[in-house]
Amino acid sequence: MRPLRLLIAILLLPILAACECAPFAACGATPLETREVTLLLGYRPDVQFAPFYVAQQEGYFAAAGLEVTIEHKQAPDVQRLVADGQAEFGVADATDVMIARTAGIPIRYVSTLYQSFPVALIGAAEDVPTDPADLAGRTIGTPGQFGSSWHALLALLDAGGLTADDVTIREYPQFNQVDGLSNGDVELITGFRNNEPLRFEARGDEAGLLTVDEFAPLPGPGMIVGDELLAADPELVRAFVGAVAAAQAEVIADPGIGFDAAEAAVPTIAEDPDVARAVLEATVELWEGDGFADGAIDVELWEAGYATMRRLGFIDGSVPLEEMIATDVVGP
Amino acid sequence: MRRIGAAILSLAAFLAVWKIVTVVGDYPEFILPAPERVAEEAASAIASGVLWEHTVTTLLEVVLGFAVGATAAIVTGIALAKSILIERVLSPYIVAAQAVPILALAPLLAIWFGGGLLSRVVICALIVFFPIAIATMVGIRSTDPLLSELLRSLGARPAQRTRLLEIPSALPVLFGGLRVGVTLAVIGAVVAEWAGASVGLGVLINIANQGLFNTALMFVALATLAIIGLAFYGLVVLVERRLVSR
Repeated sequence: MRPLRLLIAILLLPILAACECAPFAACGATPLETREVTLLLGYRPDVQFAPFYVAQQEGYFAAAGLEVTIEHKQAPDVQRLVADGQAEFGVADATDVMIARTAGIPIRYVSTLYQSFPVALIGAAEDVPTDPADLAGRTIGTPGQFGSSWHALLALLDAGGLTADDVTIREYPQFNQVDGLSNGDVELITGFRNNEPLRFEARGDEAGLLTVDEFAPLPGPGMIVGDELLAADPELVRAFVGAVAAAQAEVIADPGIGFDAAEAAVPTIAEDPDVARAVLEATVELWEGDGFADGAIDVELWEAGYATMRRLGFIDGSVPLEEMIATDVVGP
Repeated sequence: MRRIGAAILSLAAFLAVWKIVTVVGDYPEFILPAPERVAEEAASAIASGVLWEHTVTTLLEVVLGFAVGATAAIVTGIALAKSILIERVLSPYIVAAQAVPILALAPLLAIWFGGGLLSRVVICALIVFFPIAIATMVGIRSTDPLLSELLRSLGARPAQRTRLLEIPSALPVLFGGLRVGVTLAVIGAVVAEWAGASVGLGVLINIANQGLFNTALMFVALATLAIIGLAFYGLVVLVERRLVSR
């Protein structure tokens, strides 16, 4: 813990509590006692989760009266466990939230972590088309027929007037599609803009990207909670989301702080710190998008994404958008 | 008839316990769906043809993987049993290969052998190989040495001794290995599909679990795999009863 930051956090708390409710001030949630909560993250411990490590190490969670246990689970388990109340908070893809909610899993997306949709089509710079219509006939590697990569791929094809039948798809369920790309087995892959291009370029090739945002806007990953918790204790949710957003803002302002926190939380980062720094810088760009909005949900973007997901057949429209997101946790 | 009755009774008891657990535990469908919900999902998957499409692919992988793996294992097992030198040279590699988690190796095999049926058959065969090879070796070595000596004194050549005495003597143990191997073949097919495939019951599990958040459909795929495993195990037992005298 850095004493100066802790001091600032302690000094700020009463000021924030007294002022008009700023979005992340955890208004009215001045902790009387520490509340133990569990946060579920997908993937594996990684520098891209720096805001959570900063929030934990620099006292943002503690200042909000939270003692947070961080666990990593597979994406679908995050949603199920949060919905079932076995964990209070989780990070999930917005597109998965739409599908899960439609399938009857009672979760809500309460704040945005990524202002830009992180998935893109990636390939050698000279192989990546600028128009989705030019994807016809290409061989594309993707982890499988699930998750935001699959949604992004179909959305891009749809934007180009194509379907999955117009391309050859090879699946890499172990998320090793970069190997297939480097090997020449596929021409393009789906991947996260803050990860796969860097891994591809680390092998000596220049990566090109076809981003989803430009052609088929979809909302990015964010924080989820269960319906029950949101109804029973909205202040807890606000306190948590506020602490995360404040930590995220600090990392955006100074990625070095995020890197240090991630390095302390994930010792393996020290094995290749240059790549980790590059991943964090690319991740910060995705968090910011057109401007960091303190976690606010872009309803227009969600409406566009909802329409795209419905057109692609991932959801049937039986659950309205209003039941998938909670816009009052962070505020506009 | 009595055997079929016992099986039906056992299945009914299993379904009843499952149902009781869902009711008493008050589990939501996305955590543990009730049996009737899974049955409903199964009917829907059968009617739409989705289940059949994925099942046929997995069946093909299981059959080919088991055939290739078992054949290679029996040949290797005989060689191991008959030559101390071969056993000393090959055994460390065979045991080491068994100790390496196939889940970690499978994605590499999918790249080395391409993403098609070949890589999936290879992965399946590798999983099947070890128990059958070891069972064959142990079975051959359990041949009565007096009978072996008798054949030798009657002028039987090594190949004749193997065909007429050692392999028949090894059958009870060999079929023990085949019973284990055939169930592993089903697991092997799923592992292979998880390393890279677009169709198959392993893929359907991923789609249901991660793509559709449909736990009931995932249970349908799991139940289908269990039925395939039971069917192939029963087939091996049937062949064993025909070939092995009691």
